[in-house]
Order: sequence, then structure tokens, then C-alpha cells
Amino acid sequence: MSTEIAIHIQDIHKEFLLSHSGSASLKTALLWWKRRQLEELKVLRGLTIEVKRGECVALVGRNGAGKSTLLSLLARVYKPTSGTITINGRIAPLLELGAGFHPDLTGQENALFNAMILGLSRKEATARIEPILAFAELEKYRDAPVRTYSSGMLARLGFSIAAHVDADILIVDEVLAVGDFAFERKCFAFIEEFKQKNGTILFVSHDREDVLQVSDRCIWLKDGQVEQEGDPLTVLDAYESGTA
Amino acid sequence: MRSEFQELWRFRELLFAMVERELKIRYKNSVLGFVWSLLMPLATILVMWLVFKVFLRNDTPNFSAYVLAAYLPYQFIQLAVLDSAQSVLISLPVVKKVYFPREILPLASVISNFIHLLLSLPIFFIFLFVIYATYGFEVSPFTWRMLFLPVLLVITFMLTAGMAFIISALNVFYEDVKYAVSLLLYIFFFLTPVMYFSENVFYALKDKPYGMLLYNLYHANPMAMLVTAYKKTLVPMGKIDPGGGEGLIPMLPMNWPMFGVTVAITLAFFFGGYALFNRMKWRFVERP
Repeated sequence: MSTEIAIHIQDIHKEFLLSHSGSASLKTALLWWKRRQLEELKVLRGLTIEVKRGECVALVGRNGAGKSTLLSLLARVYKPTSGTITINGRIAPLLELGAGFHPDLTGQENALFNAMILGLSRKEATARIEPILAFAELEKYRDAPVRTYSSGMLARLGFSIAAHVDADILIVDEVLAVGDFAFERKCFAFIEEFKQKNGTILFVSHDREDVLQVSDRCIWLKDGQVEQEGDPLTVLDAYESGTA
Repeated sequence: MRSEFQELWRFRELLFAMVERELKIRYKNSVLGFVWSLLMPLATILVMWLVFKVFLRNDTPNFSAYVLAAYLPYQFIQLAVLDSAQSVLISLPVVKKVYFPREILPLASVISNFIHLLLSLPIFFIFLFVIYATYGFEVSPFTWRMLFLPVLLVITFMLTAGMAFIISALNVFYEDVKYAVSLLLYIFFFLTPVMYFSENVFYALKDKPYGMLLYNLYHANPMAMLVTAYKKTLVPMGKIDPGGGEGLIPMLPMNWPMFGVTVAITLAFFFGGYALFNRMKWRFVERP
């Protein structure tokens, strides 16, 4: 396979067991007839997608179409039921609202730890602490526990960490609209720069303007399959008239 | 399983960062910090000394030194297993977003508690020294048997990690596991010779029908054999009061065949637990 391909997804299927009985417990396991309430949910049904290096691809589709499942499969959080995924390069997911932050630790401690979760060594992560805090505009609050942060501050820190782990491929799940207007512009500026450096982006958005501004290509997912793909404007128009 | 170990090794820096984080979180909001970890065993020893030596009039010399030698590893197993039971569930938000070897989560809980165990050992030796000083050093408190301690620590770590793998994985799907485990650990505190001796069990059972069978069954609990080994390793072998008015009787030598069984059970727990964890870990994010 050519190294010009960043992501190659071949005939991916993903099924889940859906529970109707609420939380998991020993009770559910012991009461065998509850098994019947587990329903098989086919989220992805034979998806084949190829993303080139340096390309920015937007995923659109209704809730439950399989967008987030696809991104999770790429982040290696799920294993596919069948099919293969080939990824060339380091992949980093943008964590929404600081999943993985510990409220009692300081912004700096959390940033260091999360950068390491995203694949940096301790040395690399330590070296990037300053740029991360600077980008997030949180230098003044570095030693405050993050439980005292506002949601905007948390989102800024989360975006900034993912932006500084030297990923080749960024995965963005509806978290572009973080912080205030000025920070949003900074995020888009970063994404432009990332694209200039031949970085690959895969993102999910429900915002028409975001998709048109950032993406080179748009993929419309419907019921776990590719309904249409191509030029963002064309696909978006079809998607919006198709679901309206 | 080899590839899983290699992957874990690749992520060792993250594991150590997570251990560091757990230790930091634990002491961030408490003034006395590490002192709390020492207060717990010392207070326990004081109460046990009061109950057994004073109230029940047990005559065993250096009783509290033996109890502390067993209580420290038992406390480690207990705290590490209970901490790790929750470890995966608590981190589920991150687990749902990022890939890293999931076994890092229970392992970090076990290692951070293991560090506490190591830090409490110097305190143990000071305690031992003081106890023997009050007896005027009839015998030296330090023996060559203490060299066996590292082996015991490795076995204790592996046994605990094995239990942590099993319990943390099961607890993701059945939260009842956590309650069952804390009940079991409470019951086994009494069925493990921490505040009494393996010899007590021996003398109580030896003339009973099926006595030796029951005695061996009792020591099939790997924790029973381990804490007994800690007592015989860390404190000089002395005499114990077996109860029943028989006077003081010398301690039995180490039961090596049963110790071998304990090592085998430990290895089964460690590798079997890791295999079970690896089988279940991909389903953590998909729990119904």
C-alpha cells in the first residue's frame, strides 16, 4: 500500500449488544431469560473508506448513523466485528471536555498525564508542557486544580493537548466549537497549519459552516453505510435535502 | 500472551505516570499524607496486642512483631485488590476515547499500594528493633532468613496482580463483584493466620478426624501460606502459645511442600488472571 494513504478501511462491520434492562449486574447474568432482551445492533455494515495523507474529511449523518463508532474504531478503542483497518502514522483523538482529567490535579499535571496517554514519552510530554499551556492560554492557572476550571478552560486545555502530541492523524468528534470566538479562530488556524504540514484530519460535525470551511471531502453515513461521498457542498446539500 | 506483555512494556512510562498520579491524588487533600498508611497497621497492632496479650492472656513472646509482619502484606493485598476493583470502571470515560493497554489501570492500583508496602518495611524493622531492645536482646532480631524477603514480595505482588486482573475485569460487567470481594477479604482476614499462628491451626486440628486434610486445605489459601512465611522470615523463630494450657511450644519449620503449592497457585492466578483480563478487555467499552 502506498504511504500516500493515511487511513484505509476495508469492509468494516461492527455490531453491538444493546441492553434494554439498564445497568449490567450479576442479576442480569443469572436471570438467563434477560438474555432475550439483549438485541444485536448493527452499527456499521460494510464500510470501505480511504483517506489520503493531508486530506481533511468530514463525516456527516444523523444520530446513530455510525460516525462516532467509526472514529472509535480508528482510535483502536473498539475492535471491528469484521474487516480491516490500516493506519499509517500516529493517531490522536481530541478528548471532549477533558475526559481523563482528574479534578484534584493541577492543569499542568493533567496536561502532562494526558499527553502521555495520547502516546508521548515522559520526556516529550515534559518538553511540550509550555506550548500546551500557552496555546490554551492557561499559564496563569497551571497550578490550580482543574476542578476550579470553567468548562471553556477545560475544553481549551483538551484541544491544546491533542494539538501538541505531533499526531499525523487527528480525530475530532464535534469538539471544534470550544471556548470563545477568539479561541475558535485559533483552533481553525491550527487546523489550517496542520493541513499545510500534510496532516490528516477526520472529523464529525453537525455544523454546516465548519464542514465547508475545513474539509476537502465529505462523507455522508446512513445506517452504517456510505450514502454519498465527494465535494463537501454537493454532499451537504444532498444530505440536508435528504433528511429534511 | 507474549505480545500482550511486549505491548505493556512499550507503555511502561504511562504505567509509571499513572502510579505517580494515584499516589499524588491520594495525598493531595490530606495533611498527614503517608502517615495515614502507617497509622492503620500500628493502631491495628496496638488493639490486637491489647486483645490477645492482655484480655486473652496469650503468652507468645514478641506477639506484636509477628502480627505486624503478617498484617502489612495482608493489608497490601486487601487495599490493592479493592482499589483495582474500581480502576477500570472509574477510567471508563478515557478508555472509551483512547487506546492504551487496559491492564495498566489495575496494575497502577497494585503498584501504588505495593510502594506503600515497601515504604512501611523500614518502619517494621524499627519496630522489631525496639521490641527486641525491650527484651534486652536475648537473641538478635535480625537473621539470615530475612534474605528471603524479596522472593516473598515478588510472590505477593504476582498473586495480588492476578486477583486484580480478574476482579477489575469482572467488576466492569457486574458491579456486585466489588461487594462480594470486600466481603471475602473481610472473612479471609480471620481465616488467614494474621492475628494468630499457622501453628495454632496445626495443634487445634492434628488429633481431629481428617485433621491433616483440613490443615492442608486451610493452607491452600495462598494468603495463609504467604503471611506465615512472612512471620517466619521477618521475625526470629521463637516459641508460641498454642492455647489449651499446653505452655510454650517451638514454632514449626517452614512447610516447603505447601509453600510450593502456594507458588503454583500464585502463578496460576497471575497468568490465568492476565489471560482472562485480555479476553475481556475489548468488551469493556461495549458493556451492555
